[in-house]
Amino acid sequence: MLGIKALPREEIEAIFSLAKSFQEISTREVKKVPALRGKTLINLFFENSTRTRTSFELAAKRLSADVVNFSASSSSLAKGETIIDTVKNLEAYHPDIFVIRVGSSAALYALTQHTEASIVNAGDGRNEHPTQALLDMFTVSQQLGSCEKLKVLIVGDILHSRVARSNMFGFRKFASQIILCGPPSLVPFDCAEEGIRVEYDLDAAVESADVIIMLRVQQERQTSAFFPSLREYSKNYALTPRRLARARKDALVLHPGPVNWDVEIHSSLKWRVHPLILKQAENGLAVRMAVLFSVGTKKRTL
Amino acid sequence: MNAKHEDEMIIRNATVVNADGEREADVWIRNGKIEAVGRGLTRPAAREVDARGKHLFPGFVDLHAHLRTPGREDEEDFASGSRAAAKGGFTTLFCMPNTEPAIDLEGIAWWVREEGRRVGLVDIYPVGSITRERKGKILTEFCALRHAGCRTLSDDGDSLADSLLMRRAFEYAKLADVLLVSHCEDAQLSQGNSMRESRISSRYGISAVPDIAESIIAARDIALAQYTGGRLHLAHVSSAKTVTLLRQARAAGVRVTAETCPHYLVFTVEDVEKSGFDSHYKVNPPLGTADDRAALRAALRDGILDCVATDHAPHSRIEKELPFEDAPFGINGLETAFSALYTHLVLTGACTLPQIIRSLSFAPAAVAGFTDRGAIAPGYTADLVLADLSRCWTVTEEEWCSKSVNTPFLSRKLSGVIECTWYRGRITYQEQRSG
Amino acid sequence: MTALPRSCLLTKEEIAKTLYRLACEVVEQHGKLNEVVLIGIHTRGVHLARRLRALIREREGIQLPLGILDITFYRDDLTAIGPKPVVRETKVDFDLQGKTVILVDDVLFTGRTVRAALDEIIDFGRPQRIELLVLVDRGHRELPVKADYVGKNIPTQRNAVVEVRVQEHDGADEVILKKR
Repeated sequence: MLGIKALPREEIEAIFSLAKSFQEISTREVKKVPALRGKTLINLFFENSTRTRTSFELAAKRLSADVVNFSASSSSLAKGETIIDTVKNLEAYHPDIFVIRVGSSAALYALTQHTEASIVNAGDGRNEHPTQALLDMFTVSQQLGSCEKLKVLIVGDILHSRVARSNMFGFRKFASQIILCGPPSLVPFDCAEEGIRVEYDLDAAVESADVIIMLRVQQERQTSAFFPSLREYSKNYALTPRRLARARKDALVLHPGPVNWDVEIHSSLKWRVHPLILKQAENGLAVRMAVLFSVGTKKRTL
Repeated sequence: MNAKHEDEMIIRNATVVNADGEREADVWIRNGKIEAVGRGLTRPAAREVDARGKHLFPGFVDLHAHLRTPGREDEEDFASGSRAAAKGGFTTLFCMPNTEPAIDLEGIAWWVREEGRRVGLVDIYPVGSITRERKGKILTEFCALRHAGCRTLSDDGDSLADSLLMRRAFEYAKLADVLLVSHCEDAQLSQGNSMRESRISSRYGISAVPDIAESIIAARDIALAQYTGGRLHLAHVSSAKTVTLLRQARAAGVRVTAETCPHYLVFTVEDVEKSGFDSHYKVNPPLGTADDRAALRAALRDGILDCVATDHAPHSRIEKELPFEDAPFGINGLETAFSALYTHLVLTGACTLPQIIRSLSFAPAAVAGFTDRGAIAPGYTADLVLADLSRCWTVTEEEWCSKSVNTPFLSRKLSGVIECTWYRGRITYQEQRSG
Repeated sequence: MTALPRSCLLTKEEIAKTLYRLACEVVEQHGKLNEVVLIGIHTRGVHLARRLRALIREREGIQLPLGILDITFYRDDLTAIGPKPVVRETKVDFDLQGKTVILVDDVLFTGRTVRAALDEIIDFGRPQRIELLVLVDRGHRELPVKADYVGKNIPTQRNAVVEVRVQEHDGADEVILKKR
């Protein structure tokens, strides 16, 4: 699974229904089913991410797949071995699933023709992070009953966010409205497609939102002059109790984690928003099990 | 055989295509020159070529190619580049100075010219750099470079960021009688760019460059050319905005000419997406929108865009195997230029065949100041291309001449097969036909 | 599509009678029933287990705990059945430690479903004993599995289809045989 863009709504729903079953498994005494017994999964991370990698690793292990973690720094790629080389080398071990994270956007599409195994995108540059969006949407549908016809507000550095991109495409498949809110310098060029609205003023944007997805601020963006200072950023784009009060009373606040408290979300809201953010992590495991299960049990096309 | 007639040849019954039109004629060649063009030439020549049903073009002149030599001979050298050029119908070729070392001294320029001669398949002209080591700080010795064969100067690969230095270059170029070729790119705006900023780049989070990165510098250089009365040639024009500037400048009498490349006339940013972000579609400036392509095609028809240059940019297989954002820019273009234009512009009705031949032969020859090439006419050099436009070919690695194969046309079928190329009356390429 | 030739193996009344007999056998075997739990295998095994529970409650006044098992994740042919197996609820919300589990399914055929169910039950805990109750045993075992309670033994051809239909799921009670 390379992204949400090309994923039909029915498949998203099938993943959600599987994820529900997998939630139950994680409550069992033996948190493991033999569904992917004998399958090999390689976690291929060209970019560090302990959280996502751990979540995938645990998901695979609860499905009884054999998991190998392979971390390669992007610098070694520059020295000659390309991602394609690396994948082909690992292909010699006949893996069934590659879970890949890579720093450059849209790098995985060209990779599919070089491997027999299924590829699951664990984040490709600024393009997509499909399992994060699926877990966000799964969390929302568990809380609100569905992802249908909601007002979903995404706040922060949209330009560099693969989480924002995947969610933008995902929620719209359920006829939800997307509102992008962030400093104009961090909103992508010409992104106001059908179902997407851009709003620079968070006070206005938060009005009647059902779901608020707060993005993580990459501190290094500040030095590239996308915005003048963290102080001014937080002033304009941090979720504060006052701002949250303008949203619907039961509005869900999501964050891909880890949160920079008081930069993205005011710490006095921690009691209010943290439980759901932790729930996201829990759901992440079930959703990733569902994704691995559905790609791992797919018949290979010869 | 009569020894006297050894250097003589008549190509009979070809459809001769020049910038001003096409007609069926015989072409009589003697001592590397075109002696006569007309119906039913009776001169008994030593050799006759029957070209009935085939097309004969003046040899193509490429104002913009990268032969990677000296420095990256693993990607291309003069021998492989010359073979690729001859196969593509090119008889004159200008090679850009973004080499290692750069062509910034007359000695290096001499060496390039000599190495090209030694291979002898195509007339290779060095393009000297405008500044030493292409660093944008100190002007090179224009007169010395001109003396060593540089008709054009360029810091191609980078724009000259310093407007004062560019002004000086325009002024000084008048003394040396060299043409400044400007690679238009605002380096700050294009920082980290991999493709044209567009809805597609936004959807996929790909670092992108706006079209104005090109037109801002084009506008500056046009203004400088106008102000100094200098001559300017815009390299690889890719955007509608630059075309608009070019039209205005031409109307205002500025001495500016321009080229675009086959890929900007054929592909758009949509093709990048369709290819699954195949780095063979990564080129600088990047592929534009459908509107850009339409503007470029219109300007080519009008002659506002004078030339089509290949911007032949070989890159190793390994480098192009990198993910889209990490791969280097460049398309390998010599071998596919004509067929790509014929297939995608002539056969679709976007341009006529004489318009294409004008942009590949006549106009670039004129821009570079040649008076002996670019047309099939008495007195001109016998640089000729014979093509069968009724046949197709598939671009394959096996029949590829360049050392690198970084072309988006790989595995594609193109119409128009070049059967033979004559450079100064000598065959430099002949199609190998099996069966 | 032409319908396969079919014949009725058990009628509604016969099914009711058979289930009653099976309930009696379970009671006879286990006396007090206080350590006995029922686990039905999706889909029809669950309905049969519910009916057995009701019959036992009528007879003995004891409500046995009832679990539901979906064995999809334990199948040995997951990649072969692809692409999208339907996964239903699994619910065993009581402790299995020291219990006697009576596993209920509609048809016993190759034994592979039972194998998967045994694996899954053991992942939930360590019962004292597991017994197998089926409405129909049609033979053709591929694994060494034997039922403790059998409603009816029906010899069949390997490629025939035995279909147990229940009111709750299929709108009628009957067991039919389809021949290929």
